Amino acid sequence: MWEVKVERALTADERWDLVDKITKEVVKVGAYKPGLRDALASLTVNPWTGIPFAIAVLYGFWTFFGEFAGLFTDGFFVRIFGTHWIPWLSGALEGLPDWLFTILVGDRAVFAEDFVGDPCFAAGGVLTTGLFMPFAVVLWAVIALFLVLAILEDTGYLPRLAVLVDTVLHKIGLHGFAIVPTLVSLGCNVPGVTATRLLETRKQRFMMIALLGVFVPCGAQIGMMEELIPGLIGWVFLTLAIGYLGFGWVLNKIWPGESPEILMDVPPYRAPQWSNILRKTWSRTRHFLMVAVPFVLLGCAIVMVLYATGAMDTIASGLEGFLAAVFGVPADATASLVVGFLRKDLAIGLLPIDAMTNYQVFISVILLTIYFPCLATFAMLLRELNWKEILATLGFLIVTIFVFGGILHLIGLAGGWY
Amino acid sequence: MSKVLLMGQSNVGKSVLFNRLAGARATVSNYPGTTVDFDKGRMRIEGQDVEIVDIPGSFSLEPKDRAEEVAVKMLEETKGATVVCVIDSSKVERGLYLALEIIEKRHSVIIALNMADVAKDANINVDAERLEEILGVPVVPMVATRGEGLKELVSRIREAVPVEIEGIIKNVGGKSGTSSHS
Repeated sequence: MWEVKVERALTADERWDLVDKITKEVVKVGAYKPGLRDALASLTVNPWTGIPFAIAVLYGFWTFFGEFAGLFTDGFFVRIFGTHWIPWLSGALEGLPDWLFTILVGDRAVFAEDFVGDPCFAAGGVLTTGLFMPFAVVLWAVIALFLVLAILEDTGYLPRLAVLVDTVLHKIGLHGFAIVPTLVSLGCNVPGVTATRLLETRKQRFMMIALLGVFVPCGAQIGMMEELIPGLIGWVFLTLAIGYLGFGWVLNKIWPGESPEILMDVPPYRAPQWSNILRKTWSRTRHFLMVAVPFVLLGCAIVMVLYATGAMDTIASGLEGFLAAVFGVPADATASLVVGFLRKDLAIGLLPIDAMTNYQVFISVILLTIYFPCLATFAMLLRELNWKEILATLGFLIVTIFVFGGILHLIGLAGGWY
Repeated sequence: MSKVLLMGQSNVGKSVLFNRLAGARATVSNYPGTTVDFDKGRMRIEGQDVEIVDIPGSFSLEPKDRAEEVAVKMLEETKGATVVCVIDSSKVERGLYLALEIIEKRHSVIIALNMADVAKDANINVDAERLEEILGVPVVPMVATRGEGLKELVSRIREAVPVEIEGIIKNVGGKSGTSSHS
């Protein structure tokens, strides 16, 4: 005997052969009676029934989102902040020096007798607007979205949606499964970027991350849009979807690499466990609070400092000609663009909506969405991409802003909507 | 501290099991590929602290995507670890393929036959005792979402041992591959 103990690896065929023999002895498959679950499973994947079903599901969730967020925001927090907290605070801190009052509470003009408008947004101070936006508006929107996404994830519906949209996404070099990071990003782009790991090739991951960072607004932004421009939000989404598919198609053509088919496992439908859904919603909400709130407060402080020192006027007059020429956006939107680097939800809140036409608001919101990704998302890009891909993403971003913003500007001019 | 790795294909319930064992809060969803990075937690087995690692789902040990790379690298880096192979009882074939690969690498393995309820609903009957005889490693049927079988799994983790693949081949009466390069 000269047997040597070595790690002996079977070939794949030998291993499958062995698996076969084992399962023959161990597994007995009885007659199977298809039930409701199976009926539902085929109904939601077959395009003829599946697409209407998908529209119904997404519409239902969207309605829930709007109602839920509206209930807390408009029904409760707008009143608390607007009629109690902000007026009280401005009275209590009236004696502070001008600069400090401006940073903490906001522009004194907002508290004058003849002011028309919503002080919640207009004040701009750290303790007024800075608290109002994350806690009164955005928090309820992200909770609603996280809840909805958790239900979609846990029932097993997401992979079926992926099967449905596979044909469309394949045209831009992505797999149907790209719908998962896309939908997850509607809650928050950070886990969306992580979810791209389930895509197979580097090319697909790079494309997905670039498209997410540029075209997919997060829950915080959506919450602000829903609150401030409910009439335009449909157009914003439609435009972003066109950009996502159009620029995805171009990226697929110019970026080298392969986009192979991926075999996807579609799990059976399962009744979600409420404890798991609540736990997931909570852990994501907590992450939002920890990441977003400090940046919103910081953003408010920066903007108010820029206003108080007069620096904002200098920046605005410098950018005025450029903004007007390329995008048709007034210089008043400058403050919003400045904080767009920090938080896009805050940036949307700072848009001088009353002073702009509908089309200007529309184009500004689009610009802010495709603008630089928020810092937390950017940190994720640094982690997940190599330097070449990061540079390409930034290049893509800049090109997109000018090309897409420029096209929308031209469309607006042609349509006479400015 | 000894280590326990949770491995298996995607969407077989590794993260649910992980949360149960470690009292942790890893994200759990019903789609393949929820866990894309590993999570670590701790549990006590017979009075000893053990590190438990939730690993992204992997079809085989030849990685196809980033999440699978994480899984394979993790397994290679922790040679002495016990591996809990989580298998979906309604898809035993696929789970066994990965389990055999891990066994061939001479890791100590214990099999968690998870989702016993799903298999039962689908009228699939898996003979856990016979499987244990064939493989020579502990096999525990369980329903991780409801905590069924959890205690048995924990109490038998210590029984996990490396086994010879040749032995398994003999146990099913086959000679598959034994003739090659000997």
